[in-house]
Amino acid sequence: MNDNYLWDKSGKPDPEVERLENLLGTLREDLPAPAFEPPVHRFPLRWWQPLPRFAAIAATLLLVVSATLLLRFEQRAFWVVTRVEGAPRVASRPISDHGRLRLGEWLVTDSASRAVIDVGLIGEVEVKPDSRVQLLSANASDHRLALQQGAIFARIWAPPRLFSVQTPSANAIDMGCVYRLEVDAAGASLLHVETGLVTLERNGRESLVPAGAICLTRPGAGPGTPYYEDAPEKLKQTLAQLDSLLGAPQGNDQGSMNVRAGALDTVLAESRKRDALTLWHLLTRVAPEEKNRIYDRMAQLVPPPAGVTREGILSGNVAMRDAWADQLGIGSMTWWRFFWKKTVPLLGK
Amino acid sequence: MSVEITIDASAGIRQFRGVTLPAAPSSHADAALVLAARDGDRAAFGALYTRYSCMVHGLLLARVPAPEVADLVQDVFLQAMRRLHTLREPAAFGGWLAMIARNRATDFFRRSTDTEELPEEIPGRSGAASHRAEALAVLEVIKSLPEAYRETLILRLVEGLTGPEIAERTGLTAASVRVNLHRGMKQLRERLGVADTPPADATKDLQDGSTGHE
Repeated sequence: MNDNYLWDKSGKPDPEVERLENLLGTLREDLPAPAFEPPVHRFPLRWWQPLPRFAAIAATLLLVVSATLLLRFEQRAFWVVTRVEGAPRVASRPISDHGRLRLGEWLVTDSASRAVIDVGLIGEVEVKPDSRVQLLSANASDHRLALQQGAIFARIWAPPRLFSVQTPSANAIDMGCVYRLEVDAAGASLLHVETGLVTLERNGRESLVPAGAICLTRPGAGPGTPYYEDAPEKLKQTLAQLDSLLGAPQGNDQGSMNVRAGALDTVLAESRKRDALTLWHLLTRVAPEEKNRIYDRMAQLVPPPAGVTREGILSGNVAMRDAWADQLGIGSMTWWRFFWKKTVPLLGK
Repeated sequence: MSVEITIDASAGIRQFRGVTLPAAPSSHADAALVLAARDGDRAAFGALYTRYSCMVHGLLLARVPAPEVADLVQDVFLQAMRRLHTLREPAAFGGWLAMIARNRATDFFRRSTDTEELPEEIPGRSGAASHRAEALAVLEVIKSLPEAYRETLILRLVEGLTGPEIAERTGLTAASVRVNLHRGMKQLRERLGVADTPPADATKDLQDGSTGHE
């Protein structure tokens, strides 16, 4: 058998490839070109046509500014806790129907108890059984909890990045959404987003987890690579393997290189258009020679927009990566970055 | 606008505005044709059709039932013609057209009601009919492979493009196409029950990420 013949028809023909060529070549069709009509040129926009778009942008900005000003006045050193069932404890004391969780205090639930925390004016967090949660910050620009173990279900209706949860393996930063976050005894976390978008951050690594996606993170390895819950089973299993390989020092032996190459092959081959989310994250986590292959597959699934080049993506150009992420259907990264750089800091002033 | 194009039926477009073009498409030649087509030049669009119709045919054949492909190829090019003004980088025409073809295949299944695909011929009636039935059976096996392998194998085995031509037309790197061809063919052999003993040098090339023929 000659692989060169399969590649470019050079060298000694592989009999099986040749047989398939002859057989399948009968399915080729010489189709006549359709009658093409020249495209109709669009008239340039009238001066008044963009006005509704500007009005919508202005209204959104007004809403955001109003919300941020309102939140600046909401300064409390505690959050209200409501008992849902069992006997949740705050600072080692059981609470009746309501209690107060002050800065630094722990809320602990046993296997039979649950509680709900009012996150200031911006949302609520249900603390599931067998969980330990600590209030770390309750000021207008930083609503922050720590989840040491157990599970929470968060519903947040604030502007992005006002609420976050620290776990032993990563920080989950809310972008306005509903999600479930679990932490096991070893400190590994599992994030499952129902609506909106959550980012996981640790040590300069970032994972964007949109609605319908899951992200597994192990302590010391930084945020894992997110994937959609409905992704092919083979992709999910291989991604878990690839993630652990990417988290470990790269082995130089042929065996471990082959395992890693095989795992990447499977992830690329099994990816659907929606799974470009996973590939987008892998672009920053693999070796340079692997990035080219990920770029190719991702470009096949979601073509890069104008101005985004292979060279830019491979060299880690953030603006180009964000522009490509804008095509993934998870909202505009360009907008989020603008928002949290320009607007959120105003809350802390 | 005056345009000079020479089309050779076997090798595709050879001359455009007095410039000799390579037999295989290049992004520069595409850009010239796209710009001319965008200005309403039907011959330029016809030249793009000649170059890319087999790629579009292959991509559709990887996804939709064979009898539907011919009509959908025409649809894809008509859509491309209408939307050509939205293509910001004319040199990226191949990848852009491939995406239109993939989306059209997705739309096909979204719009069509559940119908059973009837065989085109009844096997056993004649030599040609049984040959085509066998080809369709092998095509179904290829369509059961992962998408990346499926597309590349169909472009190679059905449309007769070489690996470098597939890379150039679809915008993929040669290394990706070569890996997809190699692994896809390996899986195809397994599913067809054909022994597979790749030569040592080919395996080494793939592990090195080298294309060996660039």
